Amino acid sequence: MNGAIAIFRKELRGYFTSPIAYVVAAVFWGLAGFFFFNILVRVINFSQQVDLFAQFGQENPFDAATILSQQFLNLLGTLSLFLLPIFTMSSYAEERRRGTMELLATSPITNLGVAVGKWLAVWVFFITLLLPPLVYHVLVLSSANPAVDYRLTLMGYVGLTLLAGSVMALGLFISSLTDSTLIAAVATFGLILLLWVIDAAAGQEENWVAATLRHVSLLQQYSNWVQGILSSSSLILFLSIIVLGLFATVQSVESLRWQQS
Amino acid sequence: MTGLPTARANAVAKVLRTAGAIEVEHLSKTYGSFTAIRDVSFQVNAGEIMGFLGPNGAGKTTSMRILAGYLPASEGTARVAGFDVHENSMAVRQRIGYLPENPPLYPDMTVEAYLHFVAQIKRVSPGDRPRRVDEVLRRCSLEEKRHTLIRKLSKGFKQRVGIAQALVHDPPVIILDEPTIGLDPKQIIEVRNLIKSLAGDHTIVLSTHILPEVSMTCDRVVIINRGQVAAIGTPAELTAQLQDRQQARLLVGATEETAIRAALQPLPQVEVVSVQPLAADSPRWQVQLKSSAAMDGWIPEAAKALVQAGIDLYEIGRSQASLEEIFLQLTTQEGSEGPLEEAA
Repeated sequence: MNGAIAIFRKELRGYFTSPIAYVVAAVFWGLAGFFFFNILVRVINFSQQVDLFAQFGQENPFDAATILSQQFLNLLGTLSLFLLPIFTMSSYAEERRRGTMELLATSPITNLGVAVGKWLAVWVFFITLLLPPLVYHVLVLSSANPAVDYRLTLMGYVGLTLLAGSVMALGLFISSLTDSTLIAAVATFGLILLLWVIDAAAGQEENWVAATLRHVSLLQQYSNWVQGILSSSSLILFLSIIVLGLFATVQSVESLRWQQS
Repeated sequence: MTGLPTARANAVAKVLRTAGAIEVEHLSKTYGSFTAIRDVSFQVNAGEIMGFLGPNGAGKTTSMRILAGYLPASEGTARVAGFDVHENSMAVRQRIGYLPENPPLYPDMTVEAYLHFVAQIKRVSPGDRPRRVDEVLRRCSLEEKRHTLIRKLSKGFKQRVGIAQALVHDPPVIILDEPTIGLDPKQIIEVRNLIKSLAGDHTIVLSTHILPEVSMTCDRVVIINRGQVAAIGTPAELTAQLQDRQQARLLVGATEETAIRAALQPLPQVEVVSVQPLAADSPRWQVQLKSSAAMDGWIPEAAKALVQAGIDLYEIGRSQASLEEIFLQLTTQEGSEGPLEEAA
């Protein structure tokens, strides 16, 4: 546990001192801000139109706050998935390339401790990235009339951290398979594309294949969280993916010692 | 009460364990069909500096990695401070400081932050960390680089940070894979002195392919060649061992090569290695003799035999055996003789 904390602190410090992390943060915040403004303007325009129609007696109930939240959260999800490979690409690949795996593997610290520390660090860094969008998101919602229930929005953000956490655990595993950060990033991006493929294949059809795919589709589960449809099964799915990813990482690092030449 | 004797027994066991001797028995490591090391056995006594000497690719790094618990051995056992490196990996890891072939550094950390991190993963208690980090910074002459990013350090300083990293938790056993590689001569001397100053309190295993290093720093030497132990002993023992197997060089005057050979042939202990004219058509010949017997016994015999055969003797000499010669002899003679017997 002590080792996991040491790794966590080292990794987190690494993220906050690495130029790549700052570039990623700048891109993330810039795009998130731009799209938030964009969505906000569209929602406001649309609600003005709805008000106009209402004056002519055409009532058309329209929940601007919810639409804003859902669209923005979906956008944050997509944006995150594009950037996540960069977060985890160097986690293990860089340690392998620099030979620091040899330090970790000969220190009194378990592979699980290392994996958990690394995962936690990248997860916390991602949460830090989400804080500014969360703040202005909530600020805008606070001016909504009638007042909105923030819990729904917060659930969406929790869902987003779970989705990201799952992808990160898998990204960590991929990073442990290679000593090239580039290969790790590309392979992790490939995995994310696969998630989109699964999501698209799931579709809306009513057969058991599609239903199963919908169940295991992380993106489907995330959009459920965004819509406020919470189920213990989706929470368990995210948590199992995280555990699975970390477990696979530990196994992969362990097997590294046996094949080393 | 039984508490006190038990406590004392535990304390004794603890002392024995922290003393940190190393026992390696019949260690082998194969990668597929390639055998990196075969049946390597040796012991390192507590407080000793053991040098691991061998040409590149002889299996030094593999042996070090097994000792450090990084690689699992294919066969055999290795125990550090009484703990099996494989079965009690965590206990061993806590008791060793290990400098791999390439120092395991994080380029974007400062020297101090890096050493703090290593101290933390080596389970140095939070209260002791600043003191331990200060001490290794001082010992490795890194104080003025404390706040420098590791990637901005020169190779020599990086190597020193690597050594500092191996010492930061004050381990009883220190394993250093090529500790002086990439250092300038002044730094090499500093590192050697550092290593010598650690002996006594620490058991040290260091590998090198530089011979003077071994005779200067090590109490005992394991010479390893093509994955097998070729010789074990103190540098003095190994030198003495070679003296008996030494070659003598003679300069003689004779009209024919056959006369020289005929004169020396009857001597039972002496083997004629070569007879070569000093120059073309020269009446002087350079003769090399070899024997497994002590040189003092057969040199006068050889001289007498030559003189009796009417051959002029101009020069006779033996070169003082250096570790270098042993090393070359052990690592270049292929199959002609078995490995030397283990020195006492």
